[in-house]
Amino acid sequence: MQPLANITPLKPAGAIEVRNVGQIFKTTTQDVVALEDVSLDVKPGRFVVLVGPSGCGKSTLLMMMAGLRQQTSGTITISGAPIPEPDPNRVGVVFQEASLFPWLTAEENVEFPLALRGVAKSDRRARAQDALKLVGLDGFGRRHPHELSGGMKQRVSIARGLVQDPPVLLMDEPFAALDEQTRMTMGDELLRIWAATGKTVVFVTHSLTEAVYLADEVIVMSPRPGRIVDHLQVSLPRPRTYEMLSGDAFGSLRDRIWRHIRKSA
Amino acid sequence: MTATTLRRLIVIGLIALWEILPRAGVIPELFLPSLSSTLAAGWNDAGEYGHALAVTLYEVAISMAFACGGGILLGAIVGSLPRPRILIMPMVSSLYAVPLVILYPVFTVWLGIGSESKIAFASIYGFLPTMLATAAGIQTIDPQLLLAARSMGATLSQRLVRVIIPAAIPTVLSGLRVGGALVIVGVVVSEMLISSAGIGYLISRYRTILDSPHVFAGVLLVLAMAIAFNAAIKWIERKAAIWQTGSRAGQRAADEITAGAIQPAT
Repeated sequence: MQPLANITPLKPAGAIEVRNVGQIFKTTTQDVVALEDVSLDVKPGRFVVLVGPSGCGKSTLLMMMAGLRQQTSGTITISGAPIPEPDPNRVGVVFQEASLFPWLTAEENVEFPLALRGVAKSDRRARAQDALKLVGLDGFGRRHPHELSGGMKQRVSIARGLVQDPPVLLMDEPFAALDEQTRMTMGDELLRIWAATGKTVVFVTHSLTEAVYLADEVIVMSPRPGRIVDHLQVSLPRPRTYEMLSGDAFGSLRDRIWRHIRKSA
Repeated sequence: MTATTLRRLIVIGLIALWEILPRAGVIPELFLPSLSSTLAAGWNDAGEYGHALAVTLYEVAISMAFACGGGILLGAIVGSLPRPRILIMPMVSSLYAVPLVILYPVFTVWLGIGSESKIAFASIYGFLPTMLATAAGIQTIDPQLLLAARSMGATLSQRLVRVIIPAAIPTVLSGLRVGGALVIVGVVVSEMLISSAGIGYLISRYRTILDSPHVFAGVLLVLAMAIAFNAAIKWIERKAAIWQTGSRAGQRAADEITAGAIQPAT
């Protein structure tokens, strides 16, 4: 009989399928339902943003897509296969600030996932250089994180998420700790990188403006138990520009999301 | 004038005063022999001091290995597992407030007045701050770093070697600084109390015969030892922790430990 691993996945690389997923946190006193019956399809190459009030389980959902947490019920597949544990060849993850290793230089941080897998030093360095170049940090590889600005640190994090060239990039409020200007610039940078690489991106944020500005699709979630309450298509043309922020189309999308969130808050 | 030059001038001034004041008769030679007579006393009995220094250094080295090795090992266990932490930490913290030197006579009963009792006493003396600092260092590691490592597929042992150990180094080093200093204190003090060899013994013996220059020659040697140790730790810190500026959390924990360690030496 043919071993299961040899069967070619039916779904193309980069597709994410979430089916009836639930998550229950067991505490000593009670069980908290964090997510309930969440289903979601992300097509390869799409930029999908998850928004919702604090405690709606959007980060939890992202952690489950990353294989960092297992759902209590339902199934999640990435590129057609379940993800029982983190797999950087399939999924890159970018966290909030401060997830760079402060004792390593920028390029050593980017090389880290390759070093874990025993990739040869020269190969590692070359791939880290490519990734740093992609995020616009050519020439900053020798610096330590404390010598970089907040925005530059997040660029390094993105480079680290991309260095193994996974088809999916998951981002958990990556720009939350940045100031407004840097945040806008990083948004544009991310869109440029996304356009250049064609990755599937799932992006968690609190910011409605950021959500509409970046996304092809916005998924709105309700607080505990976390459910999907709306799924918006953002048909604004690309490349997105600053002027769109004050347009009617942008405003009505943002209002629609806000109404959901206000209702549940 | 920079702070460094000022500091050097102060040190030079103090050394000069040490020479001038006793010579001028402002301070009796019995209380403070002049620097030159102290050095001469040390030089004339260089063999005796050399032998004593060898004994003391041997005791310090062995105690340092026990205190630091044991402190880091136990601190790592206590810091990473919540259950032993709840059990052990309150005990260790209270023990830390006890002047451990009261135990030294007991050690001499158990182990005799040779090096063994000094090593036992100094090891325990230096062990506590090292262990507390290591436990704090492990506890204060940013969980986000471990999560990030896991997302990149790091196994448990890879997380230990590549994340937990490097992240804990700054706090562990500051624990070693305090622990190591206490080891030196422990060895010298116990030599001064009950022993038959070592610098502490020499200081104590010359004091009973009121030979101040020889007492101060011993004091100088202890001083030199402490300064050399401090310089060595500083050098390691510089080598190992260029990123310290980026990790204030660990540093703060280390400072708390260091502040807690300022207690009477005996």
